[in-house]
Amino acid sequence: MRRRPQEELETPVASLIDVVFLLIIFFVVTATIDRDVVDDTIHLAQARFSPAVDKKDPRTITINVRSNGRVNIALQPLTLNQLQQILTATVAESGNQVPILVRADRNTIYHEIDKVMEVIGKAGLYRVRLAAVATEKKSASP
Amino acid sequence: MKKSRKRKIGATVLSVPMSSMIDVVFLLLIYFIVTQKDEISEAHLAVNLPAPDQAQQSETKPNLLEIEIQPGQVFVQGAPRSLEMVRKTLTYLSGLDPDQTVIVKISQLAHVDEVVQVLDLCRGVGLNNLSIMALK
Repeated sequence: MRRRPQEELETPVASLIDVVFLLIIFFVVTATIDRDVVDDTIHLAQARFSPAVDKKDPRTITINVRSNGRVNIALQPLTLNQLQQILTATVAESGNQVPILVRADRNTIYHEIDKVMEVIGKAGLYRVRLAAVATEKKSASP
Repeated sequence: MKKSRKRKIGATVLSVPMSSMIDVVFLLLIYFIVTQKDEISEAHLAVNLPAPDQAQQSETKPNLLEIEIQPGQVFVQGAPRSLEMVRKTLTYLSGLDPDQTVIVKISQLAHVDEVVQVLDLCRGVGLNNLSIMALK
């Protein structure tokens, strides 16, 4: 009879912490998926005079072009034909107002960019922007 | 009897395993430090593309400013210029007509770095009507 209160106080805190820890990890991992879309292998050219953009149109399609000319969208490698199909489907679905952001490595030769630009033009999209690292203060998107 | 029972309860409450809690906090701290990325602010340089069927038509109207980018060289209206000279020329021209259209002709062998430098100069002096075309 005397030992009973002592036994009740032995709550398994360690397992509770384990569960909380697992939950935190789950939420952290699922919340950062959006950041992984950026192609870290691309080193952008520097823009000294252009202001940095704060907001981006959520419809923007970002096309990454690596220094070897390989193209990907959200790290999904694409041939030019596949890119053409995606952009054509986008125009059919959302119109030709969809902005395109070309994130090209600073060492890429323009020949590779030109091929991408031709595909963009053929799809009928015209709101094209080239990404660069801004060294100026931030401002709203043009 | 009652007094000694209270003391025992107090003693049990104080023996919460803090070491495992600290372990968890430490692991979380390490996780956030490792996964932290520096936010890079990007500038987006808007350009106009030529119509697909007009890519080869390089006829330009005389009132348009024409800049040609070759690997390691920039030409303004056909004359080679340093980047500083290009900036001065663009500053002067933007003062005359800020809505002036700039045609940037780019060699297939030029690097993106060089293209961005010229487009950035144009944006910097207020010339926002930029059209790019590749030299075939």
